Amino acid sequence: MASHDEITATFAEHVLGARTEEAFGELTVFVQPEQLLDALRCAKDELGCELLADVSGVHWPAGEQVVERQPSTTGWPEYRITRDEGAIEVLYVLRSLSQGHRVRIAVQTPDEEPVLPSSVAVYPQAAVFHEREVFDMFGVHFEGHPKLERILMPEDWVGHPHRKDYPLGGVEIPYKNDKHIPPPHERDLREVVGEGKGKA
Amino acid sequence: MSTTENPAEDVALTPQPTPDTAADWVDDAETWSDDLFVDGADWEELPDAVEDDRMTINMGPQHPSTHGVLRLVLELEGEEVKQLEPVIGYLHTGIEKNAEFRTWVQGSTFFTRMDYLAPLHNELAYCLGVEKLLGVEAPERAQAVRLVLTEFNRIASHLVWLATGGMEVGAVSMMIYGFREREHILDLFESQSGLRMNHAYIRPGGLAQDVTHDFVERCEALLELLPEKMAEYEQLLLKNPIWNTRLRGVGIIDADTAIEHGVTGPVLRAAGVPQDLRKTDPYCNVEQYDFDVPTHTDADSWARFEVRLEEMRQSMRIIRQVLDDFPTGPVMVEDKTIAWPSQQALGPDGIGNDPAYIQHIMGESMEALINHFKLVTQGFTVPPGQVYSAVESPRGELGYAITSTGTNRPYRVHVREPSFVNLQAADVMSRGQSVSDVIVVVASLDPVMGGVDR
Amino acid sequence: MGLEEKLPSGVLLTNLEKLVNYSRSVSLWPATFGLACCAIEMMTSGGARYDMGRFGMEVFRASPRQADLMIVAGRVSNKMAPVLRRIYDQMSDPKWVLSMGVCATSGGMFNNYALVQGVDKIVPVDMYVPGCPPRPEMLIDGILKLHEKIQGQTFEEQGSGMPLPMYGGQGANDLSAMEV
Repeated sequence: MASHDEITATFAEHVLGARTEEAFGELTVFVQPEQLLDALRCAKDELGCELLADVSGVHWPAGEQVVERQPSTTGWPEYRITRDEGAIEVLYVLRSLSQGHRVRIAVQTPDEEPVLPSSVAVYPQAAVFHEREVFDMFGVHFEGHPKLERILMPEDWVGHPHRKDYPLGGVEIPYKNDKHIPPPHERDLREVVGEGKGKA
Repeated sequence: MSTTENPAEDVALTPQPTPDTAADWVDDAETWSDDLFVDGADWEELPDAVEDDRMTINMGPQHPSTHGVLRLVLELEGEEVKQLEPVIGYLHTGIEKNAEFRTWVQGSTFFTRMDYLAPLHNELAYCLGVEKLLGVEAPERAQAVRLVLTEFNRIASHLVWLATGGMEVGAVSMMIYGFREREHILDLFESQSGLRMNHAYIRPGGLAQDVTHDFVERCEALLELLPEKMAEYEQLLLKNPIWNTRLRGVGIIDADTAIEHGVTGPVLRAAGVPQDLRKTDPYCNVEQYDFDVPTHTDADSWARFEVRLEEMRQSMRIIRQVLDDFPTGPVMVEDKTIAWPSQQALGPDGIGNDPAYIQHIMGESMEALINHFKLVTQGFTVPPGQVYSAVESPRGELGYAITSTGTNRPYRVHVREPSFVNLQAADVMSRGQSVSDVIVVVASLDPVMGGVDR
Repeated sequence: MGLEEKLPSGVLLTNLEKLVNYSRSVSLWPATFGLACCAIEMMTSGGARYDMGRFGMEVFRASPRQADLMIVAGRVSNKMAPVLRRIYDQMSDPKWVLSMGVCATSGGMFNNYALVQGVDKIVPVDMYVPGCPPRPEMLIDGILKLHEKIQGQTFEEQGSGMPLPMYGGQGANDLSAMEV
């Protein structure tokens, strides 16, 4: 098992401008999109991380985000994130089966037009589903991906649901404040779902 | 009873008319009205779908043998599978997004519903991640209970695999036996958590409540029952010629290809790689106990069957060792900013409140009541950061990539689901085999659609 | 059957509706339409301990053409909704729908973009079974309640395309007013 120091040294040697950070006992390597494939290759060839365990996305929108859970009563610290530029962060978790170590590579791309090189170039099979999912949920275009299509949502879906600017959706909860709740026989239950959308 | 037989609507969700040649299919498809098509029906657009004697057929999403709502687009040449494409998302539930709007404790309730055959593994992986962010570790007793329950959960999950897998290849009695024994395990879960499935029993910092006084006896009774029943399965299946012929040599995937596809779990172990997170990345003090990682050299469906059977035995071995020296003490961390102030235990009447605590907060301490109220309604805050925590679920590496921004809710939780990743390998595993083998291949991968689609 | 002794001269007088409804209710064939967690409980219901076969309703049919009861067992996503509706349309009349679990009934805890908030938006539901997931006993009870309901239905209600949804505390007269 390679120690964190060894991994840091290896990345510093092979990847231009890689910055490593250790937190919670895990090692994260931050790279620029241009160096992403280098970093992945370095992990695979130099560090023996043959398994691409996970690819996930995190959306950090621009501007100030305030979300309050219970605005009037609690005095709970508000949920406040301020950023100048919105970004989609994509995290690659790589694992070495033979040596047992694990490393995470983090890369950020602007959320307006997120584009990243596809890790299919390094992990030709394992990355396919993962990247399709990140594309589906965050809209990141992976250049060089053999089949970048929606994987979980319907193909004609608009928007990328796991971005922070996409609302949670669903229906309003009727049992709230002083809202009038119609009795069951007055509710319109026959409306076919999404008349404009699903071809039911 | 009047039936309106319309051949164009028969069988599956996509229309399957019967023109003379395959080439006519697409021509006809142009003239069909739009409403015949269903979203996601992309099979007719596959470039190779109509080449000479190649035929594209659609299996699922409503198909009795595809483990839920999995849809497979098969490209066939005669009976031989040339290409298989899994189409997923029919059970996409948006759990990851939903969890962003709930407190950290409520996350446990959401993630348990993801892979519904291994709910406790999901809770455990999530809670380990949150505990890593919080910098706390659950007490020894909680760890032991977690380990016992997740190993029982592994057995239950493999039993369902055996049951449904058996049913899919025609061994219907196996279905009845598998579910019969699973009931006993669910009884144990129900006695501890109150629910048969979707327990939300493992919480960040420990457990929702202590185990009942007869927990160890219940587990021991199960450990006596199960080996006997497993011998029964082996008697039924090991020399069964149908079971042998349908599984042996079907769905071969060697170790390199498996790793290349990101496959983990029993499928990888059946290819000879002794990869088990309980060994390489131990959790819940599992490194203290003696157990083997079963592997096999055949790398086919039969190997996976044997590996899973052996895994059930090893799980029992772990449980036995834990029970031999079952720790006492609390089941929740001491930190009162995380744990609810009550030391809750399930009373003999099945009600989970400690009378002394009720007396204390209602009669003596207003602050305790307020603290409890705020902790329940708002939850605790978790330091900002990103972690990835993984456990060995019955299907492979189950990882939770959690991002916190220092509030009372997760900023983002992504789940690395072994079923989702393993499904990528279905294509290479079924190429060159017949349609009936596809069922075996998918069954031996054991995808749970709740986990695949999340 | 032992029934003959109780019938005077072997003659039984009833109206056709009752007789046919009785036959329909005791030979419900569910379609296997497992979606999520509830599907596992549905399979358990057919398993050894709960054994739905005792009530003559374990004949799960793989083809919707042969089934007259659709048990929507689990959460219905927007991607699955058209498929579900299509399978419902393929079932032959008369047909009934049982919505199993809160996710199918109302979306449950997953009040979000991905799920249809209640399967009754797509198909008319005859019986709702609460629970997450409902215990096998609850499912069996739900089907038995559906049997009772079928026995009280008229041909018009059953045969005019779609059976009508039933709400608690309302009689047949109120239901007919809801005809679409």
